[in-house]
Amino acid sequence: MAFLASFFWGWLLGSLLLGLAMGWISIVQHGEGVSKKWKRWLAALAVVLVAAAASRLIPGRFGYWLDLGLIMFALYLCGCAAGSWLRDWVVSRSAPAA
Amino acid sequence: MHGLFRWSGKWWPGVIPLVILWGFAAWTSTVPLEADLAQRSTTALKDTVLDKRRIVVAGRDVTFAAEAFSEEGRLSAVASVEAVPGVRLVNDETRLVPEAKPFVWSAERDVVRVTLGGSSPLPSSKSKLMEAARAMLGGVEVSDRMNLARGAPQRFDAAALLLLDQIAKLKDGKITLSDNKVTLSGMARELGGREAIAAALKNLPEGYSVAANDVKAPPYIFQAYKDPVAVTLTLTGYVPDNNAHAALVAAAGRKFFSEKVVDNLKASVGAPSGFAAAVVPALGALSRLSTGTLVVSDREVKLSGDALYEAAATQIRAGLGKEFPQGWQFKPEISVKPTAAPVDPTVCQQLFTDLLGKARIRFESGKADIVADSAGLLDRLIETALRCPNANIEVVGHTDSDGEEGANQALSEKRAQAVTDYLVKAGLPANRFTSTGLGSTQPIAGNDTDQGKAQNRRIDFVVR
Repeated sequence: MAFLASFFWGWLLGSLLLGLAMGWISIVQHGEGVSKKWKRWLAALAVVLVAAAASRLIPGRFGYWLDLGLIMFALYLCGCAAGSWLRDWVVSRSAPAA
Repeated sequence: MHGLFRWSGKWWPGVIPLVILWGFAAWTSTVPLEADLAQRSTTALKDTVLDKRRIVVAGRDVTFAAEAFSEEGRLSAVASVEAVPGVRLVNDETRLVPEAKPFVWSAERDVVRVTLGGSSPLPSSKSKLMEAARAMLGGVEVSDRMNLARGAPQRFDAAALLLLDQIAKLKDGKITLSDNKVTLSGMARELGGREAIAAALKNLPEGYSVAANDVKAPPYIFQAYKDPVAVTLTLTGYVPDNNAHAALVAAAGRKFFSEKVVDNLKASVGAPSGFAAAVVPALGALSRLSTGTLVVSDREVKLSGDALYEAAATQIRAGLGKEFPQGWQFKPEISVKPTAAPVDPTVCQQLFTDLLGKARIRFESGKADIVADSAGLLDRLIETALRCPNANIEVVGHTDSDGEEGANQALSEKRAQAVTDYLVKAGLPANRFTSTGLGSTQPIAGNDTDQGKAQNRRIDFVVR
């Protein structure tokens, strides 16, 4: 992992920034989110994919692409979480003044 | 935390650009990543001795195929590749180099090249043998047909290097090392080479032995060429030692009275037994030819050329083989020189005088037995007599003044008769010849020196 991070830090940083932006936007975005049921299915899918990657079931290039995708997705999620939390913090600080 | 869970429902739109980003990342990074891993894996194996190494990288998975020379080497090579950062899986397709039983290595030499074949235990010993072969063999092409195999006997390199040294001494042949048994065949490059190889094989490393040594010595060649144009007798090839050398050159000098002897002989071991006993009479036969070549190869004597007349050809063909020691073969290829144009008796006399001026017919001391060395001279006298068929010839014997006059007279008559008999035996009509003995009454030189006496002991041909 450390090797991959050093090799592709650009793409990983891109995912993280994308996540930050998406998290920042999502706080003030109107409209429907993903339903609970869907979240469960997606979470299950993520678990299956992580398990497949961890057990190194998928060989060759597909295995590498899966690893790459999962790392980028994980950083995206981290970015989203950080972005949402930051935006929420900013919004809640400015709300009493308004 | 609850907030995060609530907000996460709205994070999905970003997944679309993320997927695009992922696609780009996969598109651009896969090939460089594979190249980088392949190069790192190769570097990790730099110090490991392997054969037929193949590294194929797909994504982060390395397919590693190679042949290792030991189980420990194989495991450590796989571990080295597994330890390369970034490698996810190693598909281990390594195996051990096949074991050769028996472990056979060979070096074969033919006209143009030396081929190293069979098995070699390690790439390093293989290249060492190739290098040594190139160094030892000078400009000869060395071809590498060696495989790698396990199961070499101990001290293989030392044994193989010693055997390579022996292949340099062969003209052609093959040396095979099967486990620790050595087999040799072929022909040594030089006389004495076979003995040198046998001596060198005593230095084989401990445990090695010679199963068969069929190296043959090259033929022991002696050649003599009588050139009637240059009036030379050229001797080439080998003689057993310096004594035999001197004796042969002296014999050639006696038998070839008018030719200059060109001596290119070399002394060498390995002569067949009875060498001098066969070569001396063969030289005598050559001296009777007008032009000819004598080739003695081991125990085979080949004499080719032109005899001066038919009876001489028949005598040489039939007679020479009988004079050889046991086991020697004679292959005559004798033809007869075309008869020279007839001349009148005066010219004949001149020719006799010229011939007898160059050399004398020689006899055993105090006897009337013609010595074999005079056969060449007598053949030329007979050839001349055949050119003047109408001339009658008086064969006159002379002696020096030593001894009693009566005895000298009798000896000179007997010697003149012996020569006449020789001529008649060669096919000349007996009625053309008379033999006379004059004892010591007509000296041509002083009888007070050995040289003068030698000149006085003579046979003259007088055309009547």
